[in-house]
Amino acid sequence: MDFSAALPVADVVAFNRPAIDWHAASPELILLGFGALLTLVDVIFLDRAKQYTAALAGIGLLVTMVPILTLANDMSETGPRVMFDGAYVIDEFSLIMKAIFILSGYVVILLSTNYIAEGDYWESEYYGLMLSAILGMVVMASSRDLISIFVAFELLSIPSYMLATWKKRSLESNEAGLKYYLMGVFASAIMLYGMSLLFGASGETILTKVNASLSSDPLTGESLSSSTPVLTLAVIFVIVGFAFKVSAAPFHNWAPDTYSGAPIPVTAFLAVASKIAGFVALVQLVFVGFYARADVFQPLMWILAAASMIIGNLIALRQTDIVRLMAYSGVAQAGFILAPLAVAGDVGDQALASIVSYLAIYAAMNLGAFAVILAAARKTGSTSIESMNGLFSYAPGLAVAMTIFMFALAGIPPLGGWFAKFQIFFAVVEQGGTWAIILGVLLAVNSVIALYYYASVARRIWADQAPDGDLTPIRIPPSLGAALVLTVVATLVFGFLPGAVSQFTDVGLIAGG
Amino acid sequence: MSDFLRSYLTVAIFGGVAVALVGVLLGLGSFLRPSRPTATKTMAYESGVDPVGDMWSQSNIRYYVFALMFVLFDVEAVFIFPWAMRLETYGYFGLVEMAIFIFILVLGLAYAWRKGMLKWV
Amino acid sequence: MISLIAQITTGDDLLVAQNIFWWFFALVTVLAGIKVVTTDNIVHAALYLVIVLAGVAVQFVFLGSEFAAVTQVLVYIGAIVVLLLFGIMLTRGSLGDDQLVDTERRGMGALVALLLFGLMAFSLVDGFEDVVLPEDTRNLIEVEVPIDTDIDDDEFIRTQRGSDTAAIGDTIFESYIVPFEAVSVLLLAALIGAVVIARKE
Repeated sequence: MDFSAALPVADVVAFNRPAIDWHAASPELILLGFGALLTLVDVIFLDRAKQYTAALAGIGLLVTMVPILTLANDMSETGPRVMFDGAYVIDEFSLIMKAIFILSGYVVILLSTNYIAEGDYWESEYYGLMLSAILGMVVMASSRDLISIFVAFELLSIPSYMLATWKKRSLESNEAGLKYYLMGVFASAIMLYGMSLLFGASGETILTKVNASLSSDPLTGESLSSSTPVLTLAVIFVIVGFAFKVSAAPFHNWAPDTYSGAPIPVTAFLAVASKIAGFVALVQLVFVGFYARADVFQPLMWILAAASMIIGNLIALRQTDIVRLMAYSGVAQAGFILAPLAVAGDVGDQALASIVSYLAIYAAMNLGAFAVILAAARKTGSTSIESMNGLFSYAPGLAVAMTIFMFALAGIPPLGGWFAKFQIFFAVVEQGGTWAIILGVLLAVNSVIALYYYASVARRIWADQAPDGDLTPIRIPPSLGAALVLTVVATLVFGFLPGAVSQFTDVGLIAGG
Repeated sequence: MSDFLRSYLTVAIFGGVAVALVGVLLGLGSFLRPSRPTATKTMAYESGVDPVGDMWSQSNIRYYVFALMFVLFDVEAVFIFPWAMRLETYGYFGLVEMAIFIFILVLGLAYAWRKGMLKWV
Repeated sequence: MISLIAQITTGDDLLVAQNIFWWFFALVTVLAGIKVVTTDNIVHAALYLVIVLAGVAVQFVFLGSEFAAVTQVLVYIGAIVVLLLFGIMLTRGSLGDDQLVDTERRGMGALVALLLFGLMAFSLVDGFEDVVLPEDTRNLIEVEVPIDTDIDDDEFIRTQRGSDTAAIGDTIFESYIVPFEAVSVLLLAALIGAVVIARKE
């Protein structure tokens, strides 16, 4: 019986129940289920369940990989799966990113297992918050809508603020959490203001529709050859909000203090997973939401990329603490990843492919470096660069691993990093404009500067004497060992077989871009 | 003005009357009563005991957790209103969605309860 | 004809009233906002914040967004300001009228605030100056309401103008289910994290 015809008022809005693709949503649902299960186990068994929580979280992540693989397998037949009118999209890009988040989350849990248990920190809560942050990232990888992006951003940030301050008795850890939190909420506020302007100008939250409205004047509907002040401000605000998250200069001030104060596994999590999530959001916004306004985002990205590379590398030269060194080198790496976005309007596919490759390789080598730092700190109890002196004489395996990661980060062939850096470099130079060439030169110069400090860490490991001549070997617990093996293998595979990455990252990754 | 805002005129008038009433009563009181303050009279009243220390004292962190939980469940309530408005339209679909939403938040309540945060010390 | 004229005149009269109210509340909000950042007593700052938030709620009513207005009162004034006051009471042992708020960088802060205000005011005015709000700004949906009657089926359901709350419900359950469920996880994570941080070892 059709009621609507008989109704006196014509414009009855009926509720359309959205179609939900359960297969596409299953990674999120599984993660959600394991997170709830973890909390439930903690609520019921309290401390008796403590020793199983790490394993439960790890299993949860591995189970989540299953639907991601089946979805990837189906992708060639079904194409991108679009839900909620384009607000939530499962395409190749999102699947690759989800896999990176889950695998790096898994490595972080491997790193955390002994650290958290031996340090007598809160365990169940730690893994619960870790899972919810990873859930936020997984949601972020599919969000093509301003509200989803914002909620995903908060979901991955708020647990991270707590995790950074997990060493409750350490003032440095408190400082780390507080600085991260204050900077983070500041960034959220700016980003949200930008999003509200975008919504005000376009009346839409879905990125593809925002993009359509950015190319025409919101009031007159005429096509816009250049941006209007309100659109420019909106785009800048949103991008600046995420620049905080990826610690791009000049919004990087929180990173060194937070990284060195937070527990090392959490630092690894922030430096890898959390940062990649920021880039994922930026990539989606630039390639789907703001693509029509290349005249606004390209110069902004150029400035951010150049500033991050130069500032990050120059300050990294003067560091005496390995974690702070990694923090500043992370700022410089952020500059590298932002560089293709400065030419994204002209060489879109290539820029996107180079960023995705870089993110995958970056995750492997950075997590590996933090795993070595964590292992070395188990003996030395310190994170100063000097404490790495002579690592080879008492822990040759660790020394080899660290050398691999350092040279990979520096971009020496045949390790993973070179391919990532070359991809970025070629994408930037491909565009061919003056500014792109200048950026290419900056990329090359900064690779050389970075090589200097990465190589000097390697030199200390191999050439210097161990402090106090203490040559007792380091006992590496199995989970940490597994993390090291995983990251070393990934770094080597990405270097020797760059096709393994580029095969996935070739063309047309983002649906509706 | 639309009918919609016209209906808020009542609210405005009500508010105005409330403010005026309080102002008139207090003003009348201060006009009529004698005012002879002494040190003892202006002292803070603490159940007849001589007040000790400052007006402001540092409160226990436990109270903060109560306030925080109040915020969280307040936000939850805000999300329930729109659902309740169209309860029947959303049907089982809406019910399941809301059940998941509430279940996850009840987990939080159970957690705080089991960890002894709800004891008022 | 007569009814038409009557409508226009009453409309104009009431628009004047609407404008007066709007300006009154806008002015109060801005003044209270300035007091929030200039007052020396942090508790007073929190209480001025209540006025600011209430003023914003009134503006939401003017825009026809009742749901946003009620949320503003319920969540911000009702809960967040309370949390803020608890936070103040936690961190300071004594609070008087002494200089508690750091004024060293006031000049710099004022400069940044002015710059940002200029930038935002300019682009907002530039972008939206010609936009005229419709008289009835409510974003309403028609809701089907069953009525008690046993006449024929055609009249069994009539429509009723629903509030914007129902419209928001429709949007949440049609397009924003993922963020909606994510919000519950977010709130749970915030609660657990706060308990861990607040608890004694």
